[in-house]
Amino acid sequence: MNSSPDDALVRAAQQGDRSAFGQLYSRYSRMVHGILLSRVPPSEVDDLVQDVFLQALPCLAALREVSKFPGWLASIARNRATDFHRRRKPHDEFSEGSANQESDPTSSAPPPHSSTEAHAALDAILSLPETYRETLILRLVEGMTGPEIAQRTGLTHGSVRVNLHRGMQQLREILARGAPLTGGEL
Amino acid sequence: MPMKDDYLWDGSGTPDPEVQGLESLLAEFRHTERPLTLPAETSLVSSKPPGLVVQFPWLPRLAAAAVILLASIILLFLPAIRVVPPPAGPGWDVANLEGSPQIGSESISANQSAAKLYVGQTLTTNSSSRVSLSEEDLGQIQIDPNSRVRLLQSGPSHKRLQLEVGTIHAAIWAPPGEFVVDTPSAIAVDLGCAYTLHVTPDGSGTIRTTLGWVGFHLNGRDSFIPAGAMCSTRPKVGPGTPYFEDASESFRDALHTFDHSEPGSDAASAALAAVLSQSRAKDGLTLWHLLSRTSGAERVEVYARFAALVPPPQGVAREGILRLDSHMLDLYWNALHLGDISIWRYWEQSSGPHPAPASKQLPTKKELLLRKNLAP
Repeated sequence: MNSSPDDALVRAAQQGDRSAFGQLYSRYSRMVHGILLSRVPPSEVDDLVQDVFLQALPCLAALREVSKFPGWLASIARNRATDFHRRRKPHDEFSEGSANQESDPTSSAPPPHSSTEAHAALDAILSLPETYRETLILRLVEGMTGPEIAQRTGLTHGSVRVNLHRGMQQLREILARGAPLTGGEL
Repeated sequence: MPMKDDYLWDGSGTPDPEVQGLESLLAEFRHTERPLTLPAETSLVSSKPPGLVVQFPWLPRLAAAAVILLASIILLFLPAIRVVPPPAGPGWDVANLEGSPQIGSESISANQSAAKLYVGQTLTTNSSSRVSLSEEDLGQIQIDPNSRVRLLQSGPSHKRLQLEVGTIHAAIWAPPGEFVVDTPSAIAVDLGCAYTLHVTPDGSGTIRTTLGWVGFHLNGRDSFIPAGAMCSTRPKVGPGTPYFEDASESFRDALHTFDHSEPGSDAASAALAAVLSQSRAKDGLTLWHLLSRTSGAERVEVYARFAALVPPPQGVAREGILRLDSHMLDLYWNALHLGDISIWRYWEQSSGPHPAPASKQLPTKKELLLRKNLAP
């Protein structure tokens, strides 16, 4: 089995090396940010990125195979996004309408200074099926390359290629129509 | 693959103007790294026994080889045998750490370290065997010798194990409230990350939390056990009063006496007085629980001591606490900064053993999302 440079960082962090954990944060925070951005409102993402790493910190020592760190961290990020929706307004959430709203990460109002065009583009990506939206956000928003996305998320190169290609194809169709779809196409 | 896809793939080849335009437009959402503030008290070093951090990278290949070999033998020599299909649903990985644990009546040999535990199956360890259970979205659970566990549920957001007897060490990274362990005298609900749960043959139990916090529940009696604390539970009685393990021996003895004495008896009153007189601010954990386990004049005394050690937060009034106003009790719990009680309330509402009456039993948001296949 090939050992990546990150494996050594993970091992060091497991032994209590905070500097190593800090390096892992630097290397993976972009991925975590992208995963969260594909699921929760943009205004919530920065705080949740910190939450994900703080949640991962005490559990890291229990990770048996260090090579699984990227996929493990991605799972924590996805779980955190699920938890965010679950815990948001826990007492007045039970309606179909609110469920639809919750499933749409763009439902929060954009900050007043942000570009309408940029939000429209983000909306278009977020209307794609989840698999495509996560990969496209990592590529188009976070600026990661396909190989980087594969390495960071634990997906195969082939899966990332397919997600990028098909996702971009659907995104082009949406943008050509001039209006983003509502809801996912799952 | 066309050149445009090369640019989309890794930025090489002829730039695709549409992709470039989107990159530029979406740059405002790009991650800007903020310094990560690590809590000083959080240890990176495992609090779990070292056996849990075991690496067997060759296990999947070995398991695959074993499966192929076994299948070949069956096909070659036993063509008439009726093959029982494996149980349906997702299985949890079982790694043999020591000895010969069993799934049902089948032993897991030393070399067969990547077995699966399916819903409905029982995993047993004898005096010389240990195993590790793991599930990708959940976490890892080490099972000590002389233990018996049964997998009850393994859904996407509800995972449930039954610990009939023995000891487990759980390190959980699933969202709070998703992992539950049934014991003969209480159920343990994971609200954080790491704990050890022990059940004796008579059904009594003990829980020790090392990271995060855990809820212990039986018949409307709840105990919350944060990191550094422990709690016992007894059949038909339920969870006792939790306490921090660094409390003095006399404090712990008095609390034990209180928990095991007839309510209102002289022994209970004397033990309560000893608990109150020896409690520290940190023991607000214990005092908060005692509020609902006392009545009348005793509750007044508990409140007086608790309020002296932990000032009531805004929105909490003495009279409200004395009548056990649940909202005020929740606010007071949160003032202890041991965990957000809304997580527990959410669990009670959505997954607890006493959900809302049918007329009010509405689907949770996650269930709605799952029905629509929209849950992440």
